[in-house]
Amino acid sequence: MISIDRVSRPGILHEVSFVARPGRVTGFLGPNGAGKTSTVRILLGLDRAAGGTALINNRAYASWPRPLTVVGALLDGSGAHRARTARAHLRWLAASNGLPRGRVGEVLDVVGLAGAGGKRAGRFSLGMSRRLGLAAALLGDPPVLVLDEPFNGLDPAGIHWMREFLRRCAGEGRTVLLSSHLLDFPVDDVVVINHGRVVARGTTAEVTGEHDSLEQAFLSLTGAGAGSW
Amino acid sequence: MRAELRKLFGLPTAWVGLVLGLIAAPALVFVNAPGVRRAIESGEIADLGYENLGIGLLGALILGVVTVSSEYTSTGDDSPGAHQMTATLLAMPRRTRLLVAKGMALALVVAVQGALTASAAVLLTEVVLPEYAPPFAPDRIAAAALYWTLLALLAYAVTLIFRNGVITLTVFIVNSTVVSVSYLLTKLTPWAAYLPDIVGAHMFLRGDATGVRIAPLTAGLVMTAWVAALLAVAGYLFHRRPA
Repeated sequence: MISIDRVSRPGILHEVSFVARPGRVTGFLGPNGAGKTSTVRILLGLDRAAGGTALINNRAYASWPRPLTVVGALLDGSGAHRARTARAHLRWLAASNGLPRGRVGEVLDVVGLAGAGGKRAGRFSLGMSRRLGLAAALLGDPPVLVLDEPFNGLDPAGIHWMREFLRRCAGEGRTVLLSSHLLDFPVDDVVVINHGRVVARGTTAEVTGEHDSLEQAFLSLTGAGAGSW
Repeated sequence: MRAELRKLFGLPTAWVGLVLGLIAAPALVFVNAPGVRRAIESGEIADLGYENLGIGLLGALILGVVTVSSEYTSTGDDSPGAHQMTATLLAMPRRTRLLVAKGMALALVVAVQGALTASAAVLLTEVVLPEYAPPFAPDRIAAAALYWTLLALLAYAVTLIFRNGVITLTVFIVNSTVVSVSYLLTKLTPWAAYLPDIVGAHMFLRGDATGVRIAPLTAGLVMTAWVAALLAVAGYLFHRRPA
């Protein structure tokens, strides 16, 4: 369960509030520059908010002693130093949170990088980097997943795989928060943000409302023409 | 801290620092033989073997720099703003604890490296020049290892402040190998001998290349104070700045 309550940052976020519930995929949608990444970074303790609270299972991210066992996060890039092998990267992450080394092989299998564990992260394609980032997010088998633009850089097969994967995670009862500027993804709940303000939130059906599709609703909510994002 | 050690050993650059630091000084014992002979002729033999440790310091400096700079290197061309520090902070969100763990891992590695290198350099000098080498003194070895450790921590702090390894490495390497700005300053004012990079050498060198003599204990305390101050600034900035 993720609860964001009146999170503000001057000029970027204005009293952003929403929740993401277990067993559901929550889409955090908005045009580029709307404040999605800022919100996610505040939630993960990477940036500071000027006001409001962002909690994961009722605690701030930084107060969890072994955060990888609570939240798996996927942000821009793989997070691995270029010269490090995928396996070495996952091993130090596992060591930092007291996770068994065996998890490294398991998560590499899950994301389809079993054969690439010995390869240096700098030689990975964009799609492989995303998979490595996801492997890191899954190391601690966390009940909450936070993914910032997970489809960026994935080829169609990768996008299909990621969709299936996220659905399965929600099916297992995990909380999945997914920020994206794309809409071709079946989500259970939707939060739409524009210019740092939440302009709509609810189930997909509620947010779609009278519109023909979620996309139509999104366009009219964000006032964006088809070509501007 | 175990994670930070693992992280350090997973970096090829760190191995460059380790190997360079370990073999450079002992190797110099052989290469530097002519200079050593000259020293013997002029009677300045108190620091025989120990003088060569200066070059191995590069290894310690590299280690101090890469522990931080590797965190801020871009992870790939397709995401230029992304760096490993994000993953690090996600795994260890408490920043003070992170900095302490990193500093301890670095200090441990460099202290072991320094002790091994200093012992090797001094023992080799005994083999090469048995009649002139100073007696093997564990306290001087320990002082040399401490100097290395403090210098590595100094590089660590400075890199944290600049978030860029190139600046730190350039300044330190130029200063310690090509022209020592600190050393030149001692020609202007004896107080320059208290600058962090050269004061520490007084902990294990008995000669007085700078013309100023500082007691080993004083030297150690002054250098520790420098390192502590810079670490405090680095820690403060690390807390304040967004990741």
